Order: sequence, then structure tokens, then C-alpha cells
Amino acid sequence: MGILHLGHVSKDYVTEGSPVAALHDVNLEFQAGEFVALVGRSGCGKSTLLNLAGAMDFPTSGTVLLDGVNTSNLSDFALTQVRREKVGFIFQSFQLLPTLSVIENVELPLMLAGNKQARLLASERLSWVEMDTYSSRMPYQLSGGQMQRVAIARALANGPSILLADEPTGNLDTTTSELILALLRRIADQGNTTILMATHSMEATGKVDTIVRLQDGRVVDLTRVTQFSEGR
Amino acid sequence: MPALALFYRLILRPLRQERARTALTVLAVALGVAAVIAIELAGQAAVGSFRSSLETLTGSANIEVTAAGGIPADVFARLATAPYPLKVHARIEDYAVIAGKVKRTVPIVGIDILSEGTLNSAGAGEAPEGASDLRIDDSVWLTSGLGFKRGDSIHLLINDAAADFTVAGVVSGQAGEAILMDLAPATRFLRRGGRLDRILIEAPATHSIEEWTELLRKDVPDGITIARQGTQTDENRHMLEAFRWNLRVLSYVSLAVGAFLIYNTISVSVVRRRFEIGILRALGAPRVAILGGFLGEAACVGLLGGVCGIVLGRILSEGAVKLVASTVASLYFSSRPAPIALTWEYVLLGLTMGMSIALLSALGPAWEASRVAPIEAMARGRSEHQARVHRWRMAAAALLLASVAWVASRQDAVNGKPIYGYLCALLSIIASALLVPLLVSVMANVTTGVISRVFGIEALLASRILAGSLRRTAVLVGALSTAIAVLTAVGIMVGSFRETVVVWMDDILQADLFLSPAVPGGVDRHPTMSAEIPLQLAQLPEAEAVDQLRNYEIRYEGLAATLGGMDARIAGRRRKRSFLSGASADKVFRQLIGTDSVIVSEPFANKHRTKAGDILKLNLGARVGAFRVLDIYYDYSSERGVILMDRETLFRYLPGAEPNNVAVYLKPGVSVEDGQRAVERVLAGRMVAVARNGALREQAIKVFDRTFAITYVLEALAVFVAVTGVGSALLALVIDRRREFGLLRFLGAADSQIRRILLFEAGLLGALANISGVTLGLVLSLLLIHVINKQSFGWTIQFHWPVMVLLSALSIVYVATILSALYPARIATRLIPIEVIHEE
Repeated sequence: MGILHLGHVSKDYVTEGSPVAALHDVNLEFQAGEFVALVGRSGCGKSTLLNLAGAMDFPTSGTVLLDGVNTSNLSDFALTQVRREKVGFIFQSFQLLPTLSVIENVELPLMLAGNKQARLLASERLSWVEMDTYSSRMPYQLSGGQMQRVAIARALANGPSILLADEPTGNLDTTTSELILALLRRIADQGNTTILMATHSMEATGKVDTIVRLQDGRVVDLTRVTQFSEGR
Repeated sequence: MPALALFYRLILRPLRQERARTALTVLAVALGVAAVIAIELAGQAAVGSFRSSLETLTGSANIEVTAAGGIPADVFARLATAPYPLKVHARIEDYAVIAGKVKRTVPIVGIDILSEGTLNSAGAGEAPEGASDLRIDDSVWLTSGLGFKRGDSIHLLINDAAADFTVAGVVSGQAGEAILMDLAPATRFLRRGGRLDRILIEAPATHSIEEWTELLRKDVPDGITIARQGTQTDENRHMLEAFRWNLRVLSYVSLAVGAFLIYNTISVSVVRRRFEIGILRALGAPRVAILGGFLGEAACVGLLGGVCGIVLGRILSEGAVKLVASTVASLYFSSRPAPIALTWEYVLLGLTMGMSIALLSALGPAWEASRVAPIEAMARGRSEHQARVHRWRMAAAALLLASVAWVASRQDAVNGKPIYGYLCALLSIIASALLVPLLVSVMANVTTGVISRVFGIEALLASRILAGSLRRTAVLVGALSTAIAVLTAVGIMVGSFRETVVVWMDDILQADLFLSPAVPGGVDRHPTMSAEIPLQLAQLPEAEAVDQLRNYEIRYEGLAATLGGMDARIAGRRRKRSFLSGASADKVFRQLIGTDSVIVSEPFANKHRTKAGDILKLNLGARVGAFRVLDIYYDYSSERGVILMDRETLFRYLPGAEPNNVAVYLKPGVSVEDGQRAVERVLAGRMVAVARNGALREQAIKVFDRTFAITYVLEALAVFVAVTGVGSALLALVIDRRREFGLLRFLGAADSQIRRILLFEAGLLGALANISGVTLGLVLSLLLIHVINKQSFGWTIQFHWPVMVLLSALSIVYVATILSALYPARIATRLIPIEVIHEE
């Protein structure tokens, strides 16, 4: 079984008293190191799928297996552990804490998990995204691309199995977007980390292994640019 | 109308939507206003009816004649027979206790019952009902408020005797309570020896009061005082001004703490709505509309807080009036609180206070909001950055203000009020608040590593969030630290005062047994005992020495004081009274014997700027005596001031061998129990209370604690406002930083970690506020002890750290501050991360 398995997943939200289907009978499975682009119009269910994959939300029906564990059956404590150990999040608006320095932002998930080597690991992650020279700076002293690289370093801090990126290049110019996508590609290739990226960018789809096209909460197309097998 | 609609949509609706936060801010204002209103109402009621019974019985008299120790009867005769169209009325005034289940102390007034119909019913022009009864020796007339009816029997305690009287009539139309008695029995029961306490004169309007006074002065001896009726009462009320001022200032502390919190609330609104402000500005809203909107928000909070504060203040005033009245009675003069009257003036005061404090506190953040450029509105963190870079400038301003405060502390009182002392306190509080941003950032920088290592990531995050929100943190720490500073300062001042009084009592209370009439005395009431008592006690084999004290009410330079006569021979040997000059008690008291010399208490010396060697001219009875001041002694028994002389000297001027207090020194080896039994045998049948040394001290400390109870209440209120504010601000912080809390959940933070972050924030806020508050409190306590107290009351207080009291109070405040974070923490853990991140 792959690192992430979604079996007959549906997700309904209740808006003003009537249910709205955000996802409908989605069946997907991704392998370790697979770089996946989720594409589709706004409101098609990309972000919902990312939230389910990251155990931040739960399906109305169906199962989400993260590294073989059904997220719906976990206690709050166990869910927190899963998020800490297996999942990293990247956001469109970077979401760095403005009161923490670059290195402290990267240290944050490590320290939340009680990791004693937080500073060392954070420095490693920063040098990985080529931001180690900026470690003592504050977020407002960085450019958008730099902030996103720090956010990626932070997402990688705990060595997650899966990286969930919601429009990671949405706030960046084309050149910077290219650099970020290249970085994500490298992470998938060298770190054996599965990346699920929600994106509107056509350029982004050129860097990925798999393209999942969503429409009105349903998977309407799945294109595997690169063939992945279990245990690759 | 569109403006109103927009005001509702953009300002009022958000206020309504965030009910908890709005309610907490309104509560902060309401408590501040309530404190002010309660103290104003209580102060007014406590002194408003000062001797109201006596005042209302003056009828239409417009001139009063008084003399220390009483007016000789011939003076009355001279005035009554003077060739002027005057109506002259004699008065004897004292207090009696109506015996019963609840003992009530009521003014007793001796008047010429048969001839004074016009005065008796306060201008009603009729003699009291029953006045025609002939057996006036055991008859009394009561005001209707006392609840007796004609023919009832009434048991009265007067001085050290008890007697039964018949209620001959009830006088209606009188405000307050009083017992009327004919002059002859009053003279006898009250031991006046033919002297009068007051002569009231109705003078026609053919001359001015000043002219009449001048005219009448020729007919009376030099020692007699003739003045406009009510002058003494006015002077006494004036004497209370300093006390009321200090109380008033303390009540304003809660309001000031509330001001910090309104500033914080409006600042939060501005920060949170920067984006909205940007949009509004882009859509064409002028700066003045933004300014007006936020000021309008503050005005709404102020108005609501003002209304609630007035209601709460009226409720609190019921308790406050008892405490204030008790202090007035202990320190100044006998009074019975008048009914509390919430007039329109006070309603207006409450509303003005609430609105003004809200608008003034909101001015800064509202102005900042109006300066927001649309393009900048999206730039997060900018305003915090500005606050951070200004911290050195603010520290420099703090230094400047502290210098001005120091200069202010060196200035003299203005008309007996420590105006510069208050200015110094205010400047110190502002200077301390300006130093807070620097303190926070230094603390955050210095302690980050330690906090992180010892308490983990939650403490680090809390510290960074606080340092990152420097402006808001500074305001919160400022508010809490002001409340803690006042708590500390007043705690140290009261604790030091208490300790000073305890040490002073050790010095002056040397006797084993103390006797006083069972009728409760007061600072201006001096019930007497039979003159035989000390003589009989001196014969007891158990007694080694018997000291006695006789006090009189006296006025010096228009202010009330106590004139006391004691046996200087015994006092010199027995008392350890301390003098400002450091001279030995024995030496000073020896110099007093048989000479026209006095010693004065420290408050008297401060009030009248008296020093050793000065000559005091005192009106004693009909004479004026000149007395040299030998020394000034420490005294904490009365704020009004005391002049002490040898009994022999006193009785050369004034009559009355009956003492007010007697102190018995037992022979070595005689137990207190045996001594008390022997003394009580002598006192059999007399209404005299005997107190042992220890019991008297205990009682004195109880009175002391009761005196300062009101300050504890006001402090507690200020602290409550501040702690409420911390809770409110943390709630605002959670709402404002919900994105960050949501993000932390995305990054793997557990509920317990989020909760700990909030608790650490509250803990750090509390710690910072405690550090700056205690430091500021120490400064304020020195100011209170050495400047404000000295200028207001004239007491020397030895500095003393009431360690346990302060530690307990500060611990309670600290724990309360941390607990105030529980509700915001609960809100933070209930945030749905996906929603709050999605909002961005």
C-alpha cells in the first residue's frame, strides 16, 4: 500500500442548513517520493483533499490511510502525533510567525514535538533550502520567495513522509515560482517525500509525476507522468 | 443617516458580535466609574450630616459664641442684657447613649425648654409638645426619628452615670436624631459646672454679621470666640478635605487602570481592522470618518460603562459610607452618615468620567487608525515594529518625567493639599508605563534562552508573542503594574503606619489598667468620670501610681484640636513618649510642671507650622493664655492635633477636675487580675469601663485596621479591573492571532500546548507587571509616606516592609492573572485551524 490511500472518500459540509459535497467518492493512492499536482477550479475540492490527507479534517464517508493508519480512528493525541511526524504543510501565504526569527520558525515544529536537536536540525533544513545565511532574520526582512523557502524548510523539519502544499507559488512571481518548484522537485527526488500540491499553475504541472484533475469534488482525470511503484 | 448606518455596521455590530470582550471592557470602565461614584457618595454622606442634629437645632440663629472649656455663665447674662434687639439662647451639647438592645450614641442638647419654642422646632415657631410639663428635671424631649413616644421611659448613659428619664414630648420636623433636655438638669448630668458650650444669637439684619460680631466682642472677655453660626462646622468640613482628597485620588486609580484597558481595546480594534480601514480609505472614507468611528466606539463603551458604573457605584456606596464614616469618626469628629443621595450631579459626573476616560484613552489609537494609508493597511507587523523602535525614545521620555516627578516631590503642599505629591505620583506612573516596552524587550531578549530551556517551546512562543506585540503588551503590563504598584505602595504605607503605631503604643501605653466612661468617647467627645475616682484608686494598696487625663475641645487658628492636661510628674516618670528633638521624656515633662508651657503633637505642629520655642496664644474659657512650646512629640491618636500641658497649669485656666481617662500602674508583684478586681470594687455602681493594657492595644489596632479598610477595598477594585483587563486582552489576542494558533495546530501543536502558551503569556505578563509594579510601588510608597501623608496628615511613619502581606497579595494577583487566561485558552483550543488559516 502507498504512503497515502484515499478509499471512497466523500466530504460534505453543511452550509446554511443544506449539505454541500466538497469531495465525492474519491479513490486515490500515492507512493513515497511521488510529486502530485492537484488541479482544478477554485472550490473543486483541492484544499479539502489536502486537509483530509494531513489529518486536519475527516471524511464524511470512506477512509484515509496515512502510512497505513486510518486517520478517522485516531484520538486527538494520536492525530497530533501523526501531524508532527508524518505531515508537513506549505501555504500560499507562507504563514511564518512574524514574531519568530527564520531559524526559530523552522525550529517550531521540532520543539513542539519535544525534539532536543531542534536547532541543529533546523539549521540543516535551512541550508537544504539555501536559507542558512538568513537564519537570524525576521520574516518581514525577507522576500516572498525567501519566506516560502523558509516555510518549506519548516515543513520538512520533522522529516515528514508527506508534504502538503496549498498553492505554494500562488503569491510568487514566475521566476521565483520556478525556483520553488525546482526545490520541491528536489525534495521529492532526494528526500523520498510524497508531495501533494494544490495549484492553478500550468508551469507547476510540468514538474510533477502525477496530475490529479478535480471538478466539483470528483476526480475527473489522473495522469501519471512518471510510473511509481510501491517501495520505489 | 447613512453615517449612522455605517457607524452601526462597522463599529457597533462588531462590538455586539464580540460580546464577551465588549462586556469585559465595559466592566473595566464600570468598575472605575463605580469606585469614583461610591467614594464621592460615601464621602458626601459621611460628612454631609456632620452634627446635623446640632445644626438643625440652631433654628434661625446667625451668630454663635464658644469658648474652650465652656462659656462662663456671666457671659450669657451680659449678652442677654446687652442693649441690642437680640435673641440669645444658651446651649449645652454632649452625647448620651440610649441603653437598649442596640446602644445608640445620640447628641444630647441642653436648652431652656420653656423659653425657646422658636428654636426648638427648627423654625417651626412652636414649643415642643409637652414643654409645659413642670417636672422637667427628669424629662427629655426626643426627635421623632428615635422612635419613642410621649410618656415612654428612656434609660440614658451620660458620662459615667446612668439615669432614667421620661419622654415628655416628641419634636417633629427635625432632621437627624437628638435628645433635648432642660439646661438645669443638663448642667448637672453633663458636669458643666454652670458653664455653657455654646450661645446662639439671633441678630436682626440691621447690621451685617461682621458688624454684630465686632459690636458683641466688646461685651465679652478676650478668650471667648464670636463668629458666624456654622463657622466651626464649615471649618471642620474643610479639615476633612485632605482626607477626602486622598480617598478620591485612590478611587481614581481604578479609573486610570480602566483607561489603560480602553486604550488596549481600541488599539486591538485598530490593529484587527487595519485591512478594513484600508478598504474604507480606498473607497473614499476621509481620515476624520475613521477617527470619528473609533472615537465613537470608545464613546459607546464609555457611556455604557458610565451607566453601569453609576448603578454599581450607588450599590457600593452603601458599604463605603460605613467605612468612610468610621474613619471620619476615628480621626476627625463625631458624625452620623446622612442618607446617600445620588443626585443628577453625580449621574453627570459618572457619565462624564466614563465618556472622558474612554475618549481620552482612545484618542491615540483612533488617531493612528486615521493615519493608516490604504496601501499600508495590508502590511502586517509594521505597527509593532514601530513600537519596538520607539522604545528607547519612550525610555528617554520616562527619564525626563521621572526627573520632573522628583522635582515635584520636593515641593510644599498647596493649601494643605499635597498637589505636587499627586503630580509626582502621576508622573511616576506614566514614566513607569513608558519604560515598560524597554523592560519587555530586554526581558524577552535576556530570558528567551532560559525560558525556552526551562519551560519549553510554549514559554518561548509566549515570550515572543508578547515581545512581538510590544505596544499591546506594554499597555497591559502598564495597567496591571499600576494596580500592583498602588497595591504595593498602599500596602507598604499602611503596613509601615501600623508598625509605627504598634511601636508608639508600646511607648505610651505603659500602665496596666485604663479606665474610661462607658459612654463611647470620640476624637471630639470627652465624656468624664467622677473626680473622686482617681483619688480613691490612688488609695488602693495594689496601685503604685494613678495618672489621669482631661481633654477639652479647642480651636487654634480656626482648626479643631484637643487640649489635654495630664499629671506631668507621673507622665515624666512613667511614659516613654518620644520627641522629635530626641530629648528625654523625663526632662521635657519636668519642664512642664507648673509652667505656662506645652508640648504639641506632630500633626498639630505640621498643621500650624509650630516649632519648639514658639509661643501659642490659646483661648481658654474667658482668658487668653500664652504658652511656650517645649517640644513636639510623636502622636498617632488624632489627625487633628493635640496640645498637652500639666494639669495644674490647665486648671489655672479651666475648671473641671473630672478626668476623661485614668491609667493605673500596679505595684510590682500584683497580678493584673487582682489589680482589676480591686479597681472594679472602687468603681462599683459607676458606668466606667476598665481595659487591660493588651486589650486596649488590640482595640486600637482594630480601629486602625477599620480606618484603612476602605483603602483595601479600593485597591482590590483596581486589581480586579486590571486582572479582568488581562483576561479581556488575552481574549483579544487570541481572536487577533487566531491564524497563528491555527498554524500551530497545523505544525503539530496539541491542545495542551496551545493552552500552555496562553497561560505562559498570562504568567509572563503577571511577572513583568509584578516586577515593574513592585518597583513603582516602592517609589510610590516612599512618596506616600514622606510627602503625601506628611503634607496631608503630618505623621512621621517609619518605613517597614510588610513582607507577608505583600507576598500574599501579590501571589493572589499573580494567580488571578494566570487564571484569567483560562477562558481565552479555551477559546484558542476550540479554533478550527482550517477555518482560521482559510480566512487569510
